[in-house]
Amino acid sequence: MEVFTAQLINAIALGSIYALLVIGFNLLLVVGGIFPFAYSHIVVLSMYMCWIVLRITGDNLILGILAGILSGTALSLITEPIFRPLAKRGAVLSSFIVAMAISMIITDIMSKRIHGGVVISFPLTLQGKEALITFGIATITAGHIATIAGSIIAGIGFFYLLYRTRQGRAFRAMGQSPFAARLLGIPIVKTSIFAYMIAGFLGGISSILLAMSLGSASAVLGDNLALKVMAVALFAGLGNIGGGLVAAMVLGLAEGMALAYLPGEWYQAISFGMIMVIIMIKPKGLFGAMA
Amino acid sequence: MVRNNILKIENLHVSYGPVRALRGISLEVYEGEIVVLIGANGAGKTSLVESILGITPAESGRIIFMGEDITQKKTEHIVASGICLIPEGRGILPLMSVMENLQLGAHHYKGDISEDLNIIYKSFPVLKERTKQMAGTLSGGEQQILSIARGLMSRPKLMMMDEPSLGLAPVLVKELFEIIVNLNKAGYTILLSEQNARKALQCGHRGYVFETGNIVLSGKSGDLEKDIRVQHAYIGSAL
Repeated sequence: MEVFTAQLINAIALGSIYALLVIGFNLLLVVGGIFPFAYSHIVVLSMYMCWIVLRITGDNLILGILAGILSGTALSLITEPIFRPLAKRGAVLSSFIVAMAISMIITDIMSKRIHGGVVISFPLTLQGKEALITFGIATITAGHIATIAGSIIAGIGFFYLLYRTRQGRAFRAMGQSPFAARLLGIPIVKTSIFAYMIAGFLGGISSILLAMSLGSASAVLGDNLALKVMAVALFAGLGNIGGGLVAAMVLGLAEGMALAYLPGEWYQAISFGMIMVIIMIKPKGLFGAMA
Repeated sequence: MVRNNILKIENLHVSYGPVRALRGISLEVYEGEIVVLIGANGAGKTSLVESILGITPAESGRIIFMGEDITQKKTEHIVASGICLIPEGRGILPLMSVMENLQLGAHHYKGDISEDLNIIYKSFPVLKERTKQMAGTLSGGEQQILSIARGLMSRPKLMMMDEPSLGLAPVLVKELFEIIVNLNKAGYTILLSEQNARKALQCGHRGYVFETGNIVLSGKSGDLEKDIRVQHAYIGSAL
């Protein structure tokens, strides 16, 4: 029971970060009109930026966190002009290939240019390992609470923007029909840039939460996360933002439980196997495409 | 009676790659008019309204709206300056509520739009009844009304309608043309593209007949209706 509780807490924390990543991914997919494979790589590169600033400033947490969030936002914005001509023509498949190119460049930078390609570890003060609540061997740490609370707040903020504001209305209109959005006088380029900014900002927050819950990062983390985010988005139905949240939690839980109760490294096979089965039964994903 | 010129198009050429969609179109719309564009599928009517709105770029020629050259302007500026398009197929946003669709009609306007909404709801009570309903669940006729109402939300000085009667049952088509005439009586200037030539000419003041990207005939609606060539080509022998 204690193992279960401990894994459950970890799984919820991890699932909530996946959820945040999937929100950003779907926002770029729906509003930006691209397949943002490199989104997770940008998030991991932001973890590296956070780490660098922490090293330079002698573990100044506030500056480190700011560095992660700002670089997430900035890196996402930089990619917008690269994708713009493809988005204009609706060339989603080409955008996937360009995104893969970007992801490889980012992975190369991280594996060759930063810290000699060695795994980076974040200071314990950022991870918040002190136990706040303990039952037996299971503990809820400050890091867990910050991660879960952070993703919930970011998620609620995003849904408020999406469903309660003028800008959010423009986002959804562009997702449902770029043509109708255009003839209604929604500024397509500006709205799209804003979507990259919001996605990047959420990615920046995710990078900090990942640093807290994983405690370390390496160059391959980008690919790992990108596969998971892509799979969760497919599982939920591409572009279905609400469905993505649920699916991310499901993947987090499935992974956590598989790690706890099944031998060794099978957890990936199991979670991806699950996704394959769902896609076979419901090709548009569990909740259908587009929200 | 001298009427103000709302829209003036001079020698407009539009191409999609090698396909020449408009080959030198010139036309004018005056304040308070219903101007009808008729012609077969692919004659260039949709290309014309889309290029007026800046969705399809003009290759050459000029589009002048209320004295201002808008040929190279972006769609968002053109909409804000007072042209709206009720597109073929209605272009409603199916997964958004009726109210949200209407709000999007006034997207360029950052102030309070509740008064505009009230006016719309008074004119089209069916939309008020369904204000919270997803637009995709409306019937075809209701969607067409929503599309027109959404256009009105932009406070247009020129309303362009592209094939509004397409896919509507005959009784609804009659209702639609009544709405168009009433809008015109209320002061709206309308550029109406229609394959239903007879109905359109009956409610319009003037018309232009399109054929493969050219205007082949123009004049008062009554005269056009009588014109044998039009009857033969677009109205059929039933008239």
